[in-house]
Amino acid sequence: MANAVAAPAKSKKRSKLQNDTGWAVLMLGPNLLGFLLFMLGPVVATLFLSFTEYDLIAPLKFIGLQNYIEMFQDEIVGQTLLNTFIYTILTVPVGMCLSLILAVLLDQDLAIRRFYRAVYFLPSITSMVAVAVVWQWIYNPEFGLLNYVFSVVGLPQMKWLSSSSTSLISIAIVGIWKSLGYNMLLFLSGLQGISTTYYEASELDGANKLQQFWYVTVPMLRPTIFFVFVMSIISSFQVFDSVMLMTKGGPGRSSSVLVHYLYQNAFQYFRMGYACAIAYLLFAVVLIITLCNMRFEKKMRDIY
Amino acid sequence: MKRTKLTKALVACLAAAMAVSVAGCGGGGGQQSSAPAADNNAPAADNAPAADNNAPAADNKGGDVTISFMGWEASPLETDAVKNGISIFESENPGVKVSYTPSLSGAEYTAKLLSTVAGDSTPDVMFMQSTDYRMFASRGVLTEVTDKFSEEFSLDDFVDSARQIMEIDGHVFGIQSCIVTPVLYYNKDIFDAAGIPYPSASEAMQWEDFRQLCIKLTTDDVYGCYGQEVVSTSLNAFLQSNGAAMYTDDMNTCTVNSPEAIEVLNAIRDLRIVDNAAPDATTLENIGMSANQMLQTGRVAMLIDGSWALQELASIGFPVDMAPIPYFKTPTNIAQAHLHCISARSPHQDESWEFLKFLSGMNYQGALVKSGLWMPNRISMYEDAAVNEWFDPAVHGSYKQMLGYFKDAKVQVSALQKSSQCSDILTEETDKFFKDGQATEATVENLQTRINEVLERLASEG
Amino acid sequence: MTNIHAFGRTYTPKQMILRIISHVILLFGALTMLMPFIWMLSTSFKSLGEVFVFPPTMFGERIVWENYTKISSRFDYFRYFMNSIKVSVWVVAFQLFTSAMAGFAFSRLQFRFREQIFLLYLATMMVPIHVTIIPNFIQMTFYGVVNTLWSLMIPPMVSAFGTFLMRQFFLTVPRELDEAAKIDGCTPFGIFIRILLPMAGSTIATLAIFCFMNTWNDYFTPLIYISEQRQYTLPLGLAGMKGSYSTDWPVLMAATSLSILPVLVAFLLAQDAFVKGIMLSGMKD
Repeated sequence: MANAVAAPAKSKKRSKLQNDTGWAVLMLGPNLLGFLLFMLGPVVATLFLSFTEYDLIAPLKFIGLQNYIEMFQDEIVGQTLLNTFIYTILTVPVGMCLSLILAVLLDQDLAIRRFYRAVYFLPSITSMVAVAVVWQWIYNPEFGLLNYVFSVVGLPQMKWLSSSSTSLISIAIVGIWKSLGYNMLLFLSGLQGISTTYYEASELDGANKLQQFWYVTVPMLRPTIFFVFVMSIISSFQVFDSVMLMTKGGPGRSSSVLVHYLYQNAFQYFRMGYACAIAYLLFAVVLIITLCNMRFEKKMRDIY
Repeated sequence: MKRTKLTKALVACLAAAMAVSVAGCGGGGGQQSSAPAADNNAPAADNAPAADNNAPAADNKGGDVTISFMGWEASPLETDAVKNGISIFESENPGVKVSYTPSLSGAEYTAKLLSTVAGDSTPDVMFMQSTDYRMFASRGVLTEVTDKFSEEFSLDDFVDSARQIMEIDGHVFGIQSCIVTPVLYYNKDIFDAAGIPYPSASEAMQWEDFRQLCIKLTTDDVYGCYGQEVVSTSLNAFLQSNGAAMYTDDMNTCTVNSPEAIEVLNAIRDLRIVDNAAPDATTLENIGMSANQMLQTGRVAMLIDGSWALQELASIGFPVDMAPIPYFKTPTNIAQAHLHCISARSPHQDESWEFLKFLSGMNYQGALVKSGLWMPNRISMYEDAAVNEWFDPAVHGSYKQMLGYFKDAKVQVSALQKSSQCSDILTEETDKFFKDGQATEATVENLQTRINEVLERLASEG
Repeated sequence: MTNIHAFGRTYTPKQMILRIISHVILLFGALTMLMPFIWMLSTSFKSLGEVFVFPPTMFGERIVWENYTKISSRFDYFRYFMNSIKVSVWVVAFQLFTSAMAGFAFSRLQFRFREQIFLLYLATMMVPIHVTIIPNFIQMTFYGVVNTLWSLMIPPMVSAFGTFLMRQFFLTVPRELDEAAKIDGCTPFGIFIRILLPMAGSTIATLAIFCFMNTWNDYFTPLIYISEQRQYTLPLGLAGMKGSYSTDWPVLMAATSLSILPVLVAFLLAQDAFVKGIMLSGMKD
């Protein structure tokens, strides 16, 4: 993102100052209108609503910071936020490592490579609703496939979605399974951008495959790793579909995440204002994490 | 109502204003760019009311009136019943059509309904969960039918539980569909095999007797009973039977933190963890079967479930019969059910009212009562002559001895609660108690604190 | 060292072992990825009784086609499919159109506050959809389109991500090309249509695939906006089915299989485009 902002600065310098305002209105206009109406406008409107009490039916009432005060005292907000963090920690590192390994394996001239690529990518094109239905049945503790596999391998029988100690992990497994192929493809495209001369040079220096991976692949792949990392974190903070479809946040609140609580408040408890405050909490968390990531990436770039 | 529209317009315009103002500064020359942006906005905003007005006009075409009717699909059997009813109504009322939309069920239904209200597309007639009825009625969404209602019906003819749900401070905003209550179902084959006499239909068991029965029925393959831990069905009945109350009478305070409530929760849990006479609390999710299938396949000898389960149980065809649920100190049953309501914004108030009446009549309510899905909510329906009309021995088994059990049921208090958040909290905390081993004392304490927090907030919001 | 000849090539033993290990891992992974789909299909052809057995079997006694015919009365497949198509095609078409034009404007045209406006676009790319859904919902109620497909079609006509992607692409095209055209008397719009757009094929394909997948599989937005069954899209229809057939697993799996079918066919037909599109989207700068 940093590069994207830097780019136009260059172009400003080089072109003679002409004015295309008329054309800009014509070509950017429709887009800008939609952008302001459906994106920027709502972002501001949500902030406005978060200072009110509003149920979509009765007139809204200004209540100042009350929603935010309540939010910071609301234990459920704390718990769902914690669950969201746990979900992120469960999915992002494991998902990234697995997809990176797969990408490295696929980045050779293998037979039936196309087949692999298609199969790994299949879950990514499938809707979460379908995935949820199938996995609920796989997770079925008594007749499900997974516990059968566990019994064959000699692992203990689990209750998966219906136990509060495993419900979030179960949802995370589905999350990893679903996004594995997508991340793998992103890594694969990064890997194909690395010139073979680096590998040849390291081979001459006597590096083995593992050393090559650590000293050539990972550093060269850093931009892609960073990109996948940021995107994965952002999307895992917004997890909702799988929770809503598989557990509805239960048992108890064990698998409820921030967006799920937001949805409940807005559309089940008639509390739009409070839900908007939660939305801003979510926004703030995502923003802070992304900014931290960017700083970190910048530091890394300076080191290398 | 007017101010509501204004509020919406305000939020929509806020977004639109952003568009105009930023487009204005974005366009260099200013005037050039802001002008088309503003032009584009204006028709969009103007179109909205026009589109609204069109909808009813289209309905009136050719003298035919179409009533939109929204419900949920709890089971395919139920939707079939609704559709049958509608075709009878349509043949009885030429010129009136009913278009039925089954929507998502449960909590999502509330969300859907709310969105139709906000979107000004509320169906003319709708199912209303008893737990949502007060929320929607207090916001002026539902047509008050008190006058029409008292012309055709008498509130005194409705059973206590129905009356308490329907009437809000002397006003009526809908007619309750029926009543449903918890029932103890049992598989006769298992009792026969064990040589144990069937539970009495006319007299409820005391909990200790019930417990001993469960222990006796439990073998390696069969558990005594399932369903006593499903709080939405029966917990309130158990609490009330032990003299514990979930709420004060005005529903403003939660009072569940009492020794009586603790005793009840402990007893229910101990049947499973001490006596080992009930299956795991998560059995239903675990095996992916329905409770009915568990009873049918003999995994449990008895099942506590809603009275609606009878329709399906009777159609599966195995020897099933019914008895009242057990009690602690005094035999207690609780009842509730969804209501049928008319939207306050419906342009077809009269036709909708006719339809509402039809839904409470013999051709609809009566048919569903006959099939075993519902129980009647009017006292007159429990009189001998009326009972003979709907009672089907092949379906209703021992219900003849249980008529008083349904008729005199107390109201399920969650139907009177002020926000569905209260029942969500109940589900959460009892989940932790039954499934995670949260201590009983902590459970009732959390329940009381958290529910009272919600109630206090609602009170302060007025 | 003896070399091994296979598949028309020569490998050292070490290379061969590495390859075999790779295949073993990849095959195992592929099986894990495919298993849920196989399981779904196999369950969809079983009878209800065959589902509740342990250990689970892969195939039932006979193929129960009835599961598929049974759903037709409850799961209005064709209607949901058409709704999904309508929404997806509309959204993809408009998003491509608005994004390409705006991307061109941001990369080629000179106007005041260009960088500031673009920065706003960039900033909103990070905003979760859940932050904007409530005002958007209110806005849609104001236009009277809630519970119609329009509510799913209007807001996503514009995409900050798409605009960003297109702008990034146009920036990579050398300006000498359009300056030559300008000398020939081309208007900026002409340059856009005649020169830049034809070159943007692969970027447009990337955006189209992304947009299509997101729209087609979207569950959250229809859940908020749509309440009538007639307006359901495939994912919402399946979710509704899940509610009322919660324990009839074979029928549920039959509906699930059918709901996956269209996008599966699309993917198999255009696998390379999909893969290329995804890979391209990850390439920055």
